[in-house]
Amino acid sequence: MTEGKNTAFRVGNAAFINPVLLASGPAGYGLEYSGMIRLARLGGVVTKTISLKPRAGNPGVRLRETGSGLLNSVGLENVGAARFFGEKLPAILEAGIRPVVSLAAEDWDDYTLLLDETSGHRDVDVVELNLSCPNVERGGMAVGTDPEKVDSYVREARSKLPGVALLAKLTPNVQDIASLAAAAEGAGADGITAINTVLGMDIDVANRRPVFRMVRAGLSGPAILPVALEAVWRAARAVKIPVIGAGGISSVGDAMKFFMAGAAAVQVGTAIFYDPGLPERIADELERTGLPARI
Amino acid sequence: MKGNAKRSYKARVRSSERISPSCGVIVFERPEGFPDALPGQFVSVRVSDSTVPLLRRPYSIMDLTDIELALLVKVAGKGSAMLASAGPGDVMDLAGPLGGSSFADPGGEDAVLVAGGTGLAPMIYSARTWKRRVGRGRLYLVHGAASSAESPDASFEADFDMVFRATMDGSAGFSGDVVTLLAKLLDEGRISAPLLYSCGPAAMVRALVERAGGRFKSHHTSLEAVMACGVGACRGCTVPLREEGRIVFKAVCDDGTVFRASDIAWEEWW
Repeated sequence: MTEGKNTAFRVGNAAFINPVLLASGPAGYGLEYSGMIRLARLGGVVTKTISLKPRAGNPGVRLRETGSGLLNSVGLENVGAARFFGEKLPAILEAGIRPVVSLAAEDWDDYTLLLDETSGHRDVDVVELNLSCPNVERGGMAVGTDPEKVDSYVREARSKLPGVALLAKLTPNVQDIASLAAAAEGAGADGITAINTVLGMDIDVANRRPVFRMVRAGLSGPAILPVALEAVWRAARAVKIPVIGAGGISSVGDAMKFFMAGAAAVQVGTAIFYDPGLPERIADELERTGLPARI
Repeated sequence: MKGNAKRSYKARVRSSERISPSCGVIVFERPEGFPDALPGQFVSVRVSDSTVPLLRRPYSIMDLTDIELALLVKVAGKGSAMLASAGPGDVMDLAGPLGGSSFADPGGEDAVLVAGGTGLAPMIYSARTWKRRVGRGRLYLVHGAASSAESPDASFEADFDMVFRATMDGSAGFSGDVVTLLAKLLDEGRISAPLLYSCGPAAMVRALVERAGGRFKSHHTSLEAVMACGVGACRGCTVPLREEGRIVFKAVCDDGTVFRASDIAWEEWW
């Protein structure tokens, strides 16, 4: 690699070699994509969201392609904290991947136990709190749309995970994302990730029923980029901590837009399904040109 | 860890040939380094450089030789139309071989292969992989399609010991669905085998399980599903299975595509 610009990125005490990460969800636990993406070349990989106990995920249809978008209702399927920390995390570290551990809980008791479990692992120096999944009945978006709940969830994580960089992942499905970002910052978050998926639904016309069992689902992909960009622009003006932009990035130019809107880093999600080389191309371009200045 | 060697390749189209009014065979040059594949494994093809359609399209491998990779494509929507319109020299990005399970070689046992529509593809690859020879069991193909327009021509028949066709409109072969044809063939003693392999729409596989499953020692099916990642990461293409009395979700792309058909919890899957 020729001498490129230094694009190292920091949030709290956590350092990243560059500001290009894989978003939580599409990339699984990281290693599934290791044949297609040079994962160690990226700033980091945000893991699938981990819950205290394993989650089977949602029954029925989980995916539906839309116009330049993808609806999903996976429902936070994951192996649970014990297997994640015992099996997946060591493999991720072994592969030289820089993990960001995504966490979510169904209720407060599970949440505190999950934080206790996480705090025992010294390898975890950055956590993304998923306060915004639309595909679960409890926890998820139900927490992330209420600034008071965001405050208490972030505050609890702050006290139980001292020294760990905390990212709060926010939902766009609110009137005012700025107040949620401010609540997270006030409670001790080191960064904001914006956005999670946009609420949507689809209908199976022939059978006169919703496509998804949960009726509503989360929209991702290029279709949501303008929504994400606006949310990042607003959040970045409301807080001093770094904002990580995510939502519909499907080209190098898209990533540049997020930096110009005020993001300090970006996450690529749905695009890896069809263009797994994209995150690395963004990292290359940033090293060539440096980070674009905020508009 | 499972899946980590799966990568994508640039593949050049060698030929594209229509084998029925709505189905075609796309033949790619086998990309350099493309691994050998097992029957039931698939590739996911990026059919467009734009984000329309967004996702890669999964296609079961119909044939893989030292020099060629063939896919059976039925035009069903935007993605398949783009793939079907590719011509010699076009280069597409495809990942594979994907899939963590496959059809087991029946060895000396006879097997019935039931295919609906393009579910024919893995049956052709199975037959070509297992190859007819002395000491090998017989392979009976029972193929179902909506009409003769979706019933591929006779060019693939030599790979099987016997071929039976059904079309819903009666325009080719037996008039009716493929499961009814299979039941009739079994009832009349025209075919008999301990092993059943299937590939086709979920409704067909479910009907097979319910109406013919008990007449075979085993029934393995290669499932079709809408997929996003193709490598077991996103958990979007799951199928509910009954395991020790409880429901578990398995990824069609990575735990499958081949499952024991009697394990599928159909009522949990729409």
